[in-house]
Amino acid sequence: MRKKTFAAAALLAAATLTLSACGNGKDDKSPVSVVSEESGSGKAATVLDQPFDKPDLVLTDTHGKKYDLRKETQGHPTLVYFGYTHCPDICPTTMSNIAVAKKALPKAEQDNLKVVFVTTDPGRDTPAELGKWLKGIDPQFIGLTGNFATIQAGARSLGISVEPTSKDKNGKLVSVHGTQVIAFSPKTNGGYVLYGEQATVDDYTKDLPKLVQGANP
Amino acid sequence: MRRRSAIMTTATALAGALALAGCSDSGAKSGSGSGSGSGSRSAAKAELSVSGSYIPQPVSADMAAGFLTITNKGGAKDELTSVSSAAAGQVTMHSTTGGAMREQISFAIPAHGQLVFKSGGNHLMFEKLKRKPKQGQTVTVKLTFATSGPLTVEMPVESATYNPSTGH
Repeated sequence: MRKKTFAAAALLAAATLTLSACGNGKDDKSPVSVVSEESGSGKAATVLDQPFDKPDLVLTDTHGKKYDLRKETQGHPTLVYFGYTHCPDICPTTMSNIAVAKKALPKAEQDNLKVVFVTTDPGRDTPAELGKWLKGIDPQFIGLTGNFATIQAGARSLGISVEPTSKDKNGKLVSVHGTQVIAFSPKTNGGYVLYGEQATVDDYTKDLPKLVQGANP
Repeated sequence: MRRRSAIMTTATALAGALALAGCSDSGAKSGSGSGSGSGSRSAAKAELSVSGSYIPQPVSADMAAGFLTITNKGGAKDELTSVSSAAAGQVTMHSTTGGAMREQISFAIPAHGQLVFKSGGNHLMFEKLKRKPKQGQTVTVKLTFATSGPLTVEMPVESATYNPSTGH
């Protein structure tokens, strides 16, 4: 019963929330806070009762090669995140947290884990730019770029809202993208665990050994 | 007489700012928190100090984030109007409202209040850095205000995964 309530809250949050690169709103009534409260109760992870299907994304990797997400990550524990390299705050922190946590895994499990960063700013994030940026975090991380509408649809299928970077009336840049990390099981290939931007390096270090087995954290 | 009391006020404010800087880990160095030049109305002045500043070690020299808290012990509000650093080509200020990250031209600092830049909320964005800041280094940043004098802050560079609530 309790678990069901959590899952419902998480799904609501996932479906409606438009977190930016740089944080959540302060409104205590927002769905964002529902997830925050669960995290505050000691767990960064939200296990979903109804897992997401892995998005059917065929994009371009950092070597300029075609990358079929479903095919390439089939049977592998997989973490998917949508962000962009010109993001100063949450994107590098989230990817660095995962990178540091990953190093605590045995070598074989590190190699088996697929961490996929999908850019929400394909105009600036060319395969070369993405590759350079990810190399600075973890050379094993996979970076994908391509058509924005395709990426947006893929994100939307995971309940993650992304918008093209735009300019407001003062000519200042406005960026909107969800900051959730979705973990996909190596057993079912379903996206069954969700992390918000509050997840720390300790949270990932604690949970990755479970996630690589497809177990609940 | 009038002049003397104005000087005294400034000196008191300066001492206050220095004392505060002394106990903060971010090392605010200069600036009196006064300087509005409007005479001797000491009660209606902002008294600013900076604490908790840090820069997470960035991925590259292209871009870095910065976080700090500005506390106003004074009875008047002020406004952070610009941030600059010799280490970066440009420093801009950003907020998050309604799920959107947005560049701002200024941030209000309420009387007896705080302006907080923290991960997931407001942040400073350093662009075109001369070199990539590394953990253990510091970056000198100048904060400019609408009425108070400028403050110089030595921002420590922490690890990429630094969490201020745990301190590591």
